[in-house]
Amino acid sequence: MAESIIKRYYDTLGEGKLLATNCLDCEGYTFPPTTACEYCGSTDLEFIHLSGKGKLLFLSHGVAPPPNARFVDIAPYAYGHILLEEGVYVQGIVTGVKPEPEVLQEIYDRGPALVEPDIIELQGLKILAFKMV
Amino acid sequence: MRNKLRDGVSILGVGCSQFGDLLETPEIKGLSLQELTNQAVQEALADAGVDPLEIDAVFIGNAMVHSSQLPGTYSQLAKWLGMQFKSGVHFEAQCSTTNVGAAMAAMAIASGVYGKVLVIGFEATRTRAKELSPYEREPISTDQAWAWTDLAVNQAYSVPQGYEIFSTYNGLVALGYCRKYGISIEDYDRGMMEICRSRRLHGSMTPKAILQETLEDEAARLGFNDLKEFWESRYNPFVAWPSRVRNVVSVADGASAMVLGRSDEARSYSVSPVELLGFGIVYGDLPWYGSDPTVWPIDRMAWQRAYQMSGISPRDLDYIHTHDCSNICGICNLEIAGYIPEGKSLYYAMDGRMGYDADRPVSTHGGRHAFGHAWAASAGSDTYEAVLQMRGEAGKRQIKPWPETAAIHTHGYAMISTVLILRRC
Repeated sequence: MAESIIKRYYDTLGEGKLLATNCLDCEGYTFPPTTACEYCGSTDLEFIHLSGKGKLLFLSHGVAPPPNARFVDIAPYAYGHILLEEGVYVQGIVTGVKPEPEVLQEIYDRGPALVEPDIIELQGLKILAFKMV
Repeated sequence: MRNKLRDGVSILGVGCSQFGDLLETPEIKGLSLQELTNQAVQEALADAGVDPLEIDAVFIGNAMVHSSQLPGTYSQLAKWLGMQFKSGVHFEAQCSTTNVGAAMAAMAIASGVYGKVLVIGFEATRTRAKELSPYEREPISTDQAWAWTDLAVNQAYSVPQGYEIFSTYNGLVALGYCRKYGISIEDYDRGMMEICRSRRLHGSMTPKAILQETLEDEAARLGFNDLKEFWESRYNPFVAWPSRVRNVVSVADGASAMVLGRSDEARSYSVSPVELLGFGIVYGDLPWYGSDPTVWPIDRMAWQRAYQMSGISPRDLDYIHTHDCSNICGICNLEIAGYIPEGKSLYYAMDGRMGYDADRPVSTHGGRHAFGHAWAASAGSDTYEAVLQMRGEAGKRQIKPWPETAAIHTHGYAMISTVLILRRC
């Protein structure tokens, strides 16, 4: 039986690792992984792991109730725009932050902050979140 | 890519239904989606002076089949629209649907395959079919509407891991804009209030808009004498700090339609045909932006292609609508388009320069917030407004002098950036 790349990504997340692909033609990283390089379309790929460490560039929040029922217990939650140290942009939940204007204003005023993965589990699915360090 | 239309293509006629709620809005209350869509189609055919038998092909779009329960729309609506035995297809590009349809029609006409094409978009974002009833409808909750809408967003990774539209499409872009241009959050909020005030004024002058109450009147109705106090009150909470609920879309049920044909035959059908000079269509998956959330690659490329195909430059534009499902993304595109200088849109708004009677008119029908947003129908409603303005038929909100050249930009989830350039013949 073949294994979906999507399942492999979430299984790997459960091991605390971020699965990506490296393009053997253009050396671009595609994260999360798909069946083709997002930069050149090549399918000549190898799986790699990203560190998940990076810089939180901007932090906002969403609404409650959330559109996706999976997040009903944690909404509204802080959600950030992040540049990983491998040069990949990713967006995700940022844990440990109250999504209140005063808190978010303070984080905005301080500027980019270092983050690392904080993999959480919601309704049986491992989810890539981040926490400020 | 040659990026040229071989022959000229014009919009011969446009139509648009009332945008509202099929359970509440008097003008459309009790109608089926078939009948709502027919209102837009009949208006477009009459406007063009084209007989239904002259239509060669129908491109019909509906994005959220969960609420319409009308897949295979070409046949399901064929008899309702008087469009049996046509060529055509059901397609969707979410909130860019009707204008992508116009581009598809233009390519089909310019290639010589079809002479006249009817493009249609319809959507129900407030109501859905009630159980198994063929005619009853019931309300859709806001979170349910967004959950269905978000099916158009990366389902492998983004949505399962916490994506939602308000932060990604609004709050994070707003913070990027403020940081890039050194704008305080307080000034951002004030500028956004002025943009909303302009859109609501335009909506109050647009009989088909879902919100026809000015922001000032709404504030007074809710007991506020001071507009800023109302803006910052519990009636206008943050949906994604620093952006508030009155800077986002108002969901609506609605339909729009347009008839396109060859430019060299346009004069015999329409006293005021509007030529589709060019278009740009570029899509991309998340993340939509990198280090600079204010300039998305798909938008930059779509505008470049539209300008190249049409042979015009930004200074030629007399009127513009940019997708303002989120007002901050709308102003980013005003600036990418070159209609307003980079970093100046909020100040233009504070100075009242985006109104129908000002020097840089924007979204004179009220945009997504005041006119309302019926996903697949909305791009057509924007084109409808541009055509009315270019013909001098926009009533109290008429731009003077009538615009000769206009641009309409839309974002179709998630995300297809679409630009049409129109010129009065």
